[in-house]
Amino acid sequence: MSALLGYVPMADGESAERIWLDAPGTHSVATLRKNELVAAVLDLQPRSGARLFVLRTEVGALAEPERQALLAKIGFVPADGGLISSLNGWENITLPVAYHAPQRIPELFDEVQELLEDLGGVDDSVLRKLPEEMTLYEKRLVAYVRALLEKPALLLVETAAAGLGPTKRRRTARFAEAYHARCAGGTYVQLEE
Amino acid sequence: MFAVYRELEGTAYLAIHAIRRLGMLRVPPVMEEFLRQVYFTGASATGGIVLRGAFIGTLIIAYVIEVLNADAGLAVKMLLWVVLREVGPLIAAVLVIQRSGTAVATELALREISGEIASLRRMRIDPYDYLVVPRVLGMALSNAALTLYVQVIAVGGGMVLSSLVVGVPLGEMLTNFFLLASPLDLIYSFIKSLLFGGAIGVVACYHGLHPGGHSINAVPRATIRAVTEGLLLVMLLNVVFAYMVYGSAFFGLVTAQQ
Repeated sequence: MSALLGYVPMADGESAERIWLDAPGTHSVATLRKNELVAAVLDLQPRSGARLFVLRTEVGALAEPERQALLAKIGFVPADGGLISSLNGWENITLPVAYHAPQRIPELFDEVQELLEDLGGVDDSVLRKLPEEMTLYEKRLVAYVRALLEKPALLLVETAAAGLGPTKRRRTARFAEAYHARCAGGTYVQLEE
Repeated sequence: MFAVYRELEGTAYLAIHAIRRLGMLRVPPVMEEFLRQVYFTGASATGGIVLRGAFIGTLIIAYVIEVLNADAGLAVKMLLWVVLREVGPLIAAVLVIQRSGTAVATELALREISGEIASLRRMRIDPYDYLVVPRVLGMALSNAALTLYVQVIAVGGGMVLSSLVVGVPLGEMLTNFFLLASPLDLIYSFIKSLLFGGAIGVVACYHGLHPGGHSINAVPRATIRAVTEGLLLVMLLNVVFAYMVYGSAFFGLVTAQQ
């Protein structure tokens, strides 16, 4: 088993919906329910009786440092953005980097500006807004830029276009392009209901 | 019974975690959270503390002199024993529980319910490191600072106001005070107030992070538990501390055997 992402039931006769596969050049073969998939991948925790493969690594036997290293390669953009309510746009975007690699902070401002221009068609006032002041699209954009800064090898994006008007929907179509431009060889997974 | 055991274990774990992980303050976002907490608990609460402190000091001196018909020496002794050692740390602790304990428990419970804690975990940020460590340390230090304000304002302000209102000479009260006060009083109340603040922070964080449900109703329940248990813990610590250091508790009603 060398799938990029796989979820393999151990017992025969398990439901096909519990199998989710993705490998370079292919798309999902069959899907888990979205929430189960997100929980399994982000917690690196397969259901009992199943084996979980993420980025060609079986997660069951990983020691904690290897597990953390694997988690660092996975990004996630939830439908509501998953932003921290007390932090403004800039602080939300830079939180993971400031936490895990603070030495990178000085070089981030230009990178963030560039990403916002490429993706969003929004000005940098979003950086000063608290999440409660942002539109749904702005929240997703901030969360997306936050995820991109970590250059994940696997990026799960939850219902990027849901609840948005036609213009913003078209803009979310650029998300995958932006990801592949920055993370060559990475896998972008769009999660839909 | 099991729930009580779980709460005790959970708060003890949080307290140990906060002490062991103090080094996380080197991480910029954790330091920012710490500074926010110090500002909220310490700096912005100062105004209320100043007024309360001055009133309490005046009240004690006026009561002792007018009602008990005592002299300035006894009034200053009362200020020292009651305000400096006992009431000062307790007033600051009650103010911190009322203001910051409720705010922290409510904020964390809302964060838990709205999925922000899960979001932090997904960014590989330990919520205990990012949220609990700066809050517990911030509340401990702020409580110590507020206690010092209360002591200075209540004792100093009390003596000044009393000299104006009751007519006791200020110089006489100051002389008596410096004769009676010892550095141990300040060290004792500083350590005690650090402990009070830390305990309030740990209890508020525990109940905020474990609101006992995912509906909005869980938020006020978490806040109420944080306030009642925070108060209980502070009173308990006060009694234990007084007994350990001075061999007496409850203002001398319980004393250690000589």
